[in-house]
Amino acid sequence: MGEEATGGEAIVVEGLGRRFGSFDAVREVSFAVGRGEIFGYLGANGAGKSTTIRILCGLLAPTSGRARVAGIDVRSDPEGVKRRIGYMSQKFSLYPDLTVEENLDFFGGAYGLSGKALARRIDELIAEVGLGAQRRVQTRSLPGGWQQRAALAGALLHDPEILFLDEPTAGVDPASRREFLALVRRRVRRGVTVFLTTHYMDEAEYCGRVGLMVDGRLATLGTPAELKARHVPGAFFAVRAGRRAELLALLPGLDGVLAANPHGAGFRVRLDPARLSAEGLAARCREVDAGVEIEPAGSTLDDVFLQVVAGGRA
Amino acid sequence: MDTDRARDGRPGRGMRFLRRTMAMAGKESLHVMRDPRTLYLALGMPVVLLVIFGFGVSFDMNDVPLAVVDQDQTPASRSLVASLGGGGEFEVVARPGDARGVDRLFRTREASAAVVIPAGMQAAWDRGERVPVQVLLDGSDGTSASNVLGTAVGAIQAESSRRLAERTLGQGGGGARPLSARVRLLFNPALRSAVFFVPGLIAYILYIVGVLLTALTVARENERGNLEQLFATPVGRVEVLLGKLLPYLAIGVVQALLVLAFGMVVFDVPLRGSVAVLGLGTMLFLFGALGQGLFISAITGSQQVATQAGALSSLLPGILLSGFVIPVETMPRVLQWIASLFPARYFVTILRGVMLKGNGLDVLWREFVALGIFSVVAMTVATMKFKRGGS
Repeated sequence: MGEEATGGEAIVVEGLGRRFGSFDAVREVSFAVGRGEIFGYLGANGAGKSTTIRILCGLLAPTSGRARVAGIDVRSDPEGVKRRIGYMSQKFSLYPDLTVEENLDFFGGAYGLSGKALARRIDELIAEVGLGAQRRVQTRSLPGGWQQRAALAGALLHDPEILFLDEPTAGVDPASRREFLALVRRRVRRGVTVFLTTHYMDEAEYCGRVGLMVDGRLATLGTPAELKARHVPGAFFAVRAGRRAELLALLPGLDGVLAANPHGAGFRVRLDPARLSAEGLAARCREVDAGVEIEPAGSTLDDVFLQVVAGGRA
Repeated sequence: MDTDRARDGRPGRGMRFLRRTMAMAGKESLHVMRDPRTLYLALGMPVVLLVIFGFGVSFDMNDVPLAVVDQDQTPASRSLVASLGGGGEFEVVARPGDARGVDRLFRTREASAAVVIPAGMQAAWDRGERVPVQVLLDGSDGTSASNVLGTAVGAIQAESSRRLAERTLGQGGGGARPLSARVRLLFNPALRSAVFFVPGLIAYILYIVGVLLTALTVARENERGNLEQLFATPVGRVEVLLGKLLPYLAIGVVQALLVLAFGMVVFDVPLRGSVAVLGLGTMLFLFGALGQGLFISAITGSQQVATQAGALSSLLPGILLSGFVIPVETMPRVLQWIASLFPARYFVTILRGVMLKGNGLDVLWREFVALGIFSVVAMTVATMKFKRGGS
């Protein structure tokens, strides 16, 4: 306790590994997260996201490598880590038969808080997450998005330096997801570091940096813009067409087309602008389908994800 | 715990331990109060069981329906029948002409015992010959049959020895018999079932409810993912277990008092010994039962398995191996060994000893030691098996 992290790193992970029997859930993962950063940890189910987060929260000992969280080694002092972090697990982890207030009261006690200080803290947090009218409602009768906000309040009771959110918005409607992320970003502005796992790529766009896990390995790491430039360079276009079959036969063979994936009523096409311009693409497409429409489209982390996963498996 | 003082406004270790444990206990109490099933199990079931066992299940012999086949029809045979019906144990419900009629009465369950008095009994008696009197019993209910047998044979022998005394000592009757046994039952002179049952019932109820409720509590949190969240806080496993234990310990004490009061008021069961000794035994037993429940909870992980394991490991030993219904001494050696592994048998001995005989620790210390050992082992194993985080 009392040991401060050197420099600006909130989390430092070096060669981290976790083996279950003969299965390597996490292998040789290394990265660092700066203070006040939102770090997104992406990957398919079973890619090792939750295992990593559980190691960092002191819930699971690593079988190889090292991890320091808030300057504390997770292997030698997991309890020290727990006092400095807030954790929201995948499942809704408040007690459904207790009210919002009772849940917060309990978790406050679990962190050793009590009396007036705790009561004040609960009032602040309930106001922050906007559940003032629901504080005496059993959490089981709250809608999903509100449950998540209540759980967030529970993870913030002891004013943690680092917040670990394991798929916090899974199964929640888009509007509630946005509200939830707004709350998280407000905390980040106050200096809290956030480590977030998700498989919503739009959520990942909010992150300062993103690490992508494939089969237990950290396949790539960088800001969303860096990842797009690195893995899916070129320009994206949405191609809408009536005659899909003909275009499907044509597009992949064109010189300068890097990728053409079916998308909605048409295709998402990625071009190497040096070899094929948008006009060139339009001209070639009209040869088989006069009614084709072509619009520029931005790249997304979905494209990165598909590219990296396909690359990792090839 | 040496840093119990507040330092820099930050509470000491002992204080934080206490706060976390109390937070767990408070939360656990809320779960109990919000869950009707738990409440029923905790407070409704003891009353239901008391009513069933106290009123319904009884080994008391009252008005056993008796069929009499009197083929003699003499003063001697009538006297014998009168002596059977006189004690209140038997009620003569039918008088079929021959033994074949008895068979039908047994099948229709109009009678469960019969006496066949052969023709010529009076004459044979007067000649000084032995007369066989046949006793028929419905053996499909083993326990009742053996009780009825004892009573019927006893009554016939009493009548027989009275006759013998009359013959040898003259017609005057009332003369001294050569030998007579005067049986006095200690501690439960009227042989009332309730006196025997209520102490056993306290053990039985505390055992199943204690094991079952605690077995469910950790499994439920594990299944819902609450445990994972709990382990991400600084709460330690001892604090979790202790916090879970306290409310159920309180429930156990309330149950014990409830059953005890009910037994004393409604069934007139005595409490001859010291309340303190009884309380000590109850606490020790509860620790053991709760430890067993927490152990099951920690190793099973799912509510369904925990319920079954909890019920199985408390119901069967609680009713069959505790001495509650079947005396442990009459069991085969192997079963006696198995019975001595479970705390219920020691607790039943303690309860009966204290309540009925007024025994103290001087007599019951072995049972207290056994309970103590079980509690310590159960709690230790439960804490060890209750791994933080899991893997």
